[in-house]
Amino acid sequence: MSQEPKEHSRVNDLFSAILGAFAAFSLITSPWNVDTEGPDPFYKGPLIFPIMVLSMMTLASLPAWVRLLAPSAESSWRLDGEGFPKKTLVVLGLLIAMLAGLGLIGLEVSAWLFLSITLYYLGHRGALKLVVLPLVITGLIVLIFKYFLGVFFPTPMIVEWLWG
Amino acid sequence: MWENLISGAVAALTLANMGFLVFGTFVGIVVGILPGIGPMVGMVVLLPFTFALAPDVALSMLLGVFCGGYFGGAVPAILMRTPGVPSSLITSFDGFPLTQKGEAQTALSAALLGSFGGGIISVVILVFLAPLLAHVAANFGPPEYFGAGLFGVTLVVMANRAQLMKGILLLGLGLWFSTVGIDGATLSPRFCFGTLYLQNGLDIVPVCLGLFGIGQTLLLVERKILLTDQMNLTRSTLDFSKLWGTLRYWKTLLRSGIIGTFVGLLPGTGSILASFMSYEAAKRASKRPQDFGQGTPEGCLASEAGNNAVPAGAMIPLLTLGIPGEALSAVLLGVFTINGIYPGPLLLVKEPVLINTLYFSIFMINVAAFLMLALWLKPFAMIVRVSTTLLAANIMLISVVGIYAVNTRIFDAAVAVFMGVLGYILLRLKWPVVNLVMGVVLGEILENRLRESLSIGDGNPLIFLSRPISLVLIILTVLVVVIPVYKDRRKRK
Repeated sequence: MSQEPKEHSRVNDLFSAILGAFAAFSLITSPWNVDTEGPDPFYKGPLIFPIMVLSMMTLASLPAWVRLLAPSAESSWRLDGEGFPKKTLVVLGLLIAMLAGLGLIGLEVSAWLFLSITLYYLGHRGALKLVVLPLVITGLIVLIFKYFLGVFFPTPMIVEWLWG
Repeated sequence: MWENLISGAVAALTLANMGFLVFGTFVGIVVGILPGIGPMVGMVVLLPFTFALAPDVALSMLLGVFCGGYFGGAVPAILMRTPGVPSSLITSFDGFPLTQKGEAQTALSAALLGSFGGGIISVVILVFLAPLLAHVAANFGPPEYFGAGLFGVTLVVMANRAQLMKGILLLGLGLWFSTVGIDGATLSPRFCFGTLYLQNGLDIVPVCLGLFGIGQTLLLVERKILLTDQMNLTRSTLDFSKLWGTLRYWKTLLRSGIIGTFVGLLPGTGSILASFMSYEAAKRASKRPQDFGQGTPEGCLASEAGNNAVPAGAMIPLLTLGIPGEALSAVLLGVFTINGIYPGPLLLVKEPVLINTLYFSIFMINVAAFLMLALWLKPFAMIVRVSTTLLAANIMLISVVGIYAVNTRIFDAAVAVFMGVLGYILLRLKWPVVNLVMGVVLGEILENRLRESLSIGDGNPLIFLSRPISLVLIILTVLVVVIPVYKDRRKRK
């Protein structure tokens, strides 16, 4: 079902322009990023579809470029009034740190630390929410993934450093 | 045929299938009740676990989440004016006014009966329509498949035509994602940027899990979802005496179930359109259309029947053509292909027991979801009081670990996190993310069929117009573009 956007934000045009610029760059550099040394004619080869798709993206971004360079009086940089996503960025950073921690300190420690720190940062308090709940969730994850599903997790590097 | 039906029923009634089906339905109801979460998050989070399961059990579990989500979404819509799933917004038009009048049980009865009836009607249509469509699709060659895929992506784009250029950009991005990696036909690396990691390509699993499992939950970190904290529910179970009163709307139920099934069949349209069209059709056919929007159980029943008919409707093109009817069924396509089962017209011939198992499973999911909600209504409704930030942190953790578990590659988890950032941006900007998902899913089909067709035609694109089915599909694609544009221009005048 089609829905009308309520007001025009230039952030949408900026994002469209970024995607369009990426598509144009990929289109121009596609002969170097796609191996076309095979004997097939162009219409059977690996480049025809990427060229069609990237061209479509580049063309679709042109109206956004026009609006970005020549904005109308009604448009603004205001998006939705929710402000800069500081909490979201911090949580994202913690998630990336947890991912890096999988190899460095192991699944158990990195998962428990991620949950405890994230919940504390998001305003939760009390031993139940900051210690017990993360322990229970981490325990369930370890039980299900490591022992029930038999997923391999590498030995943490810190264990190798400390105990060889 | 009867042997396959009986074998399917036996397979569906095994302890493993029933257990995971009920578990999936439970998870679906929970994520459906939680505003801002939804069945997509439930499906992608459970997706990594399906690798340890047999394909029929895995599909039953994920279908349970799919259907259970639509059942659950009505509860907060009726009680708290906050839809659990987007399509339940229509249910709240009449559901919340009924709650305000002290008739929450009437609204919930109508909604649950609508969901149950819509689900059953759609399964019956699926059972009869899928073989018919498979019979037609057996005559499909590469040009016809390309035409069907093109029709599908065009529908997806036109369904969000108020954001046409954004929709095309996202569709293109999804199609481009599908080209990353080793090209299957020529074994040429494409857009690998010198790294071995990208040679395996970008699979639907990390893309969907990142966009929805991480992106959607990042959005919950800062956003207050509930519109009201008050919940007007005195009984802990459904009042079954109210159900009999809603049975008089059986014609509305039938009409809405059929509308929802056929809307679900069309790629890109989704449950919101199904719910809306069913509601509008009920209003037009009603002897008291002025009651709609003021608190009539018929409105709740129509909306819920429409949206719960979508899952089975979306299975029709998925099973017979390999083209998912919507983003949620795209996740199911992932389960098929991971298990080496390729949907298409031959699937009903090669895997009749699996197909019949799915039919019975969808039927039992609707029964299970209805009974669970009817018997544990208040405990389920209380789930909305769980902090969304608490849920978000846990879902993100399970998503990252789950995606790592699929191939034991940190790179896949990194792709999911990247997709999570992209998903957050797109959801915050309110762009049509379904276009991106459909692009990733249909990209390979479109490209391979395009190249095969051009090979057959020695590079001549007129091959698409020289075959009757392909020509019809191209004409339908053009009509899908022209008719809405013409109608929109007439409205503006």
